[in-house]
Amino acid sequence: MFLDPDSKLAQRLNPVLFLLPAVAIYILFAIYPTISVVEYSFTDWDGINPNRNYIGLENYERLFSDKIFWEAFRNTFVWSAVIIVINVGLGLVIASMLARVWKARLIIQTAIVLPVVISPMAVATIWRWMYQPKGAVNQVLEVIGLGAFKTPWLGSPDAVLYALAVAHSWSTMGLSVIIFLAGLQAVDEHLYEAAKIDGASPLQSFRFVTLPALRPVTAVVFILTLTQSFKVFDIVWATTQGGPIRFSEILSTYMYKRGALENDYGYGAAIGVALLVIVSLATIVYMQLQNRQES
Amino acid sequence: MVGRYLLVFFLGAIAIVMASPLILTVFSSLKPTTELANPPWYPPFDVTFEHYFRVWTEGKFNRYFLNTVIISTVDAIVMIGIASLAAYALVFMKYPGKALIQALFLVGLMIPVTAIILPLYSIVRSVGLVNTHLGVIFSDLALAVSVFVFMFSSYFASVPKALHEAAKIDGATEFQIYWRVVMPIAKPAVVTTALLEFLWSWNDLLLRLLLLPSDKMRTLSVGLLNFQGIMTRDVTGLSSGTVIIALPVVLLFLVFQRHFVRGMTQGAVK
Repeated sequence: MFLDPDSKLAQRLNPVLFLLPAVAIYILFAIYPTISVVEYSFTDWDGINPNRNYIGLENYERLFSDKIFWEAFRNTFVWSAVIIVINVGLGLVIASMLARVWKARLIIQTAIVLPVVISPMAVATIWRWMYQPKGAVNQVLEVIGLGAFKTPWLGSPDAVLYALAVAHSWSTMGLSVIIFLAGLQAVDEHLYEAAKIDGASPLQSFRFVTLPALRPVTAVVFILTLTQSFKVFDIVWATTQGGPIRFSEILSTYMYKRGALENDYGYGAAIGVALLVIVSLATIVYMQLQNRQES
Repeated sequence: MVGRYLLVFFLGAIAIVMASPLILTVFSSLKPTTELANPPWYPPFDVTFEHYFRVWTEGKFNRYFLNTVIISTVDAIVMIGIASLAAYALVFMKYPGKALIQALFLVGLMIPVTAIILPLYSIVRSVGLVNTHLGVIFSDLALAVSVFVFMFSSYFASVPKALHEAAKIDGATEFQIYWRVVMPIAKPAVVTTALLEFLWSWNDLLLRLLLLPSDKMRTLSVGLLNFQGIMTRDVTGLSSGTVIIALPVVLLFLVFQRHFVRGMTQGAVK
């Protein structure tokens, strides 16, 4: 370059040059759409027509009286609750067991964590096949004598949401196990020895040593799972698209249908804002908890 | 002692349950059509790769695979560059407005792609990048850059300030210090960024579904979704397609497991 690197101008220019690529892409393709989604939510735009009118809070008023929105909202909560029970509850139990095993640990851990890296689209295809009326799940139930529980999982209004939540948990629980394992490494071994000397059973030392020590990590995993499950789109879209009827409709699929497929763009944007608010708030809590844990 | 065996037994059972959906899918992708009536847990007796060939050529997965490799590789490489440069400016340089830029990146950790997908599509369309790989790449970078800026920042923060000062006194430019002094120290962050961004990019569906409508540009995720819509009953073809999309990242994971485990916990907000 023709610029003397020691000159004042170069000193001033440096930060700009270093920041520009990241900041430019980030503002145009992340910040701007975030501001736009709020703006569009106050319009009646159909997504195609060049003119749009500002209609104030009308989309939000519609949101509050829209029965399908509340159904999707309720479903999203149920869906998240099931995933939290599995990822936090079972994840914690599995992690604390894994921490006490040495020989087979790596292979068991690999089997549990591997699904995390697999594409949600692949997860959807796998489970759609497993959940078929004559699929693997029903065949296994038959063989182990639980044939009475056989059901067309993804076609059943009662089962579909839970079935999909289990499939999603299968592909995400590994992450909670990893985080719990990292937390367990920080627990003082002496506490376990002391508990053992005091005659505590393994179950008691889990209850009185592991659980209290892991409380901060548990909070982190809880809120992380909550945010993640609110954002899900792929696996539901690729299996049921919210069906049968609307029994597995969640906020993201409903937003996609209204905004992208039915040209109700402004209204779709309002659903997007609802999602944005919920997830951002949860993420702020998550980051606070994580900071506290690190310090 | 009995307790220990019980523990291993229980964990082994869980490992089998967790692994079985994948194993059954691989089984079904290798079975000749005549063995499809067998229970899914029967391994293929007469192993065949015909379904892979069929999906790869007729199902156009060769095209989708290439598109996916291009997007994910570019994503990973460019992400390392832009995120580390920005992090360098945030950690080592002094200028007005630094706190503001830091706060701006923080916001990025909270934005769920799902919520802003509609206006994102409008913007990509208005700059003429719908149906181009570039449109997807820019969107991917923008939506994940915050995570990696903070990842690099935390590595850079551990570089002794004296090292930076000494290089400066020796007459090195900021870029030379970045390239020769700081980046070599941040190698673990480079590996984690490459792996994680590659993985996210490889696996994404929603963005690609909207931004790449034409068949020629499709990635594996959209290709598989489309294939599933048309060939609903083609179990062997769908299983092969699933293995094709899953295998590359599974292999990456098995080779770089430690990096992945660390990266996934750090980048968990995404």
